[in-house]
Amino acid sequence: MLDERAGDAALEAPNYDNEFDAIVVGAGLAGSAAALTMANRGLEPLLVERGSYPGAKNVFGGVLYTPTIRELVDLDAAPLERYVAEKRFSMLSHDDETAISLKPGEWHREPHNDSYTVYRGEFDEWFADQAVEAGATLVTETTVTGVIREGGDIVGVETDRPDGAIRAPYVVLAEGGNSLVSEGASLKSPESRENIAVAAKEVLEFPERSGVIEDRFRLVGDAGVSYQYFGEGAVGEAYGGGFIYTNGDTVSVGVAYSLEDAATKRQSPEETLNLFKSHPAVAPLLRGARTVEYGAKTIPEGGAESMPSLVHNGAVIVGDAAGLVLNNGVHLEGTNMAVESGYYAGTAIVEAAERGRTEASALESYSERLEDSFVVQNLERYAWLQDRVEEDRELLFEQLPRAIADASSEYFTMDRRPKEMHAKAAKQRVFDTLGGWKGATKLALRYRKLVK
Amino acid sequence: MSVSPQAPEIENDSMEDRLYTVKYEDPGDSHLDVKVASICADSCETADCVSICPADVWRREDGEGVPTIAYENCLECSSCRFACPYDNVSWEYPKTGAGVTYKRG
Repeated sequence: MLDERAGDAALEAPNYDNEFDAIVVGAGLAGSAAALTMANRGLEPLLVERGSYPGAKNVFGGVLYTPTIRELVDLDAAPLERYVAEKRFSMLSHDDETAISLKPGEWHREPHNDSYTVYRGEFDEWFADQAVEAGATLVTETTVTGVIREGGDIVGVETDRPDGAIRAPYVVLAEGGNSLVSEGASLKSPESRENIAVAAKEVLEFPERSGVIEDRFRLVGDAGVSYQYFGEGAVGEAYGGGFIYTNGDTVSVGVAYSLEDAATKRQSPEETLNLFKSHPAVAPLLRGARTVEYGAKTIPEGGAESMPSLVHNGAVIVGDAAGLVLNNGVHLEGTNMAVESGYYAGTAIVEAAERGRTEASALESYSERLEDSFVVQNLERYAWLQDRVEEDRELLFEQLPRAIADASSEYFTMDRRPKEMHAKAAKQRVFDTLGGWKGATKLALRYRKLVK
Repeated sequence: MSVSPQAPEIENDSMEDRLYTVKYEDPGDSHLDVKVASICADSCETADCVSICPADVWRREDGEGVPTIAYENCLECSSCRFACPYDNVSWEYPKTGAGVTYKRG
C-alpha cells in the first residue's frame, strides 16, 4: 500500500516541494475520491493519512451510498459487507415499540439501490488503493499539523515527519469532522456543540454458531438491514437515535445524539448505548453477542447553515470537514456527499491546473457544482427541519411515541367491550397529546415540507 | 427502571473490556490537554468533558479541580473539544500513526 519510495524518502527528508500537483489531507472517502479524480486526469496527487492505513481512524455506523463511487471504481472488487434489503424505522418509548418496515423487492436486485454496509477500516483502504493504482501517492502514519501560507495563499502543509514541510500548488482538506488543520488555518470556525452529534457504537459478533445474523434479521445471502430507532427508549431525553446495521458476520449497534443534550442532560454515550441495547425491542436481536470493537465519534450535523467557505486560495475543503452530512431523521447520509464533494473538488483542481491558476476564484467551480448537486440541495431542503425538531423534541421523541404505543394497545385491546369504544379511546389518546384537531393540523403544517 | 420480562439480559462489557477491543499505540505524550488550568479549577462547575467522554479519558476527583486525562484510552472522537463551554480543551492529532487504530471502523 504505502509507496515505499515516498515513505522512506520522506523519512530521509529529501525535498519533495512541488513534486506533487496537490496534497490531500486525509484518505477517507472524500480525500481518496479527490485524489482518484485528479490521478485519473493526469495529475500526481499526494494523499496523506495520519492512521497506519486509510480507515484506521474511522468510526462508522451507517451505509455506504454508491451512485457516484460506482462511476469512479469497479465496485465488484470492493470489500462490501451486505446490501440494504430492509429499512426499518422504530419509535421506542420506555418499553414499547411501534415500527415501519420497508422491503421493496427492487432492493434485492443489482445495484441494490446503491446502499451497502461496509467496514470503513477495510473499504477506505481499498478505495485509497484505487487512487494509488490510478497514480496517486499514499503516505500513511503522517500527520498534517498545519498549512504553509505565503501572503494570503496556501502553498503546502506542515507534517510531523522530520523536516516535514511539503509544498504543492493545491491542498485538499479532507480531514473529517474533527478538522484541526482547517480550523488552525482559520478556514473555518469550530462547530458549536448544538450542531454536533456524539456517537458511540459497537461491532458485535455471535460466537455461539454461524447463521445467527441471517436468522435474527431474516436474511438470505448478502441481504442486510438498516434499523433506525427514535424516541426516549432509544436515546433517553436527547435529540437523536439508535441504529443497527448488519455486516457480513457482525452487527454494528450504536447511538448518535446531540452533544448539547449529552452535556446538559449529563447523558454519557456509553450509558446511553447500554440502555439502548437493553430495550426489550432491541435486546432479543443482540442476545449472546460479543463485542469485538468499541468506537466513538462526533458527527457534524449543522447542515447548510454551518457549511464553511469551501474554496480558498490554494485550498478546498471536502467531506465531513465541510460539514457535508445530512440527517433529517429519515435520511442519514454522508458517504455519498463525501465522494461527490471529492469528485468535484478534484475536477476543479484539474481545470485550474490546466490554466496554471491557484487562487480561490479559479477553484470556484468546485463550490458551484456542489451547490447545483444533490449535496447542497438536500442540505438546503432540510435546513429548516433541525430547529423545528429541536423545538418539538419532547412531543416528537417522548410524548408522541408513548401516545401511539398506548393508542395501538388500546385499539387492539381484547375484552368484552365493543370495538367502537376502543377506537374512540385510542383516537382520544393521540389527540390529547397533539392538542386535538387544531394541534394535529398545526403539527402537520409545521412539517408539511417533508412531503413536498 | 424496570426491565420488561421480554428483554433478555444483555451483558454489556465494562468500559475496560470495551476499550480493550481497540488497538492503541501510545504516542508517548498526551495529545489532549487543558489550555488554562485555572478555568477548570475556578470557573467550571459542570465538567462537560467528564460527563460526555465515551472512554473515561477525563476524570475529576471529587467533582472539582482540574480533570486528569487518561489520554491512552482516547477513541479520538473529539467530543470533549466541542463540548467544553470554555473552549478550554487543547486537542492535537496523535503523531506518527499512534493513538487508536480501528480494525473495522
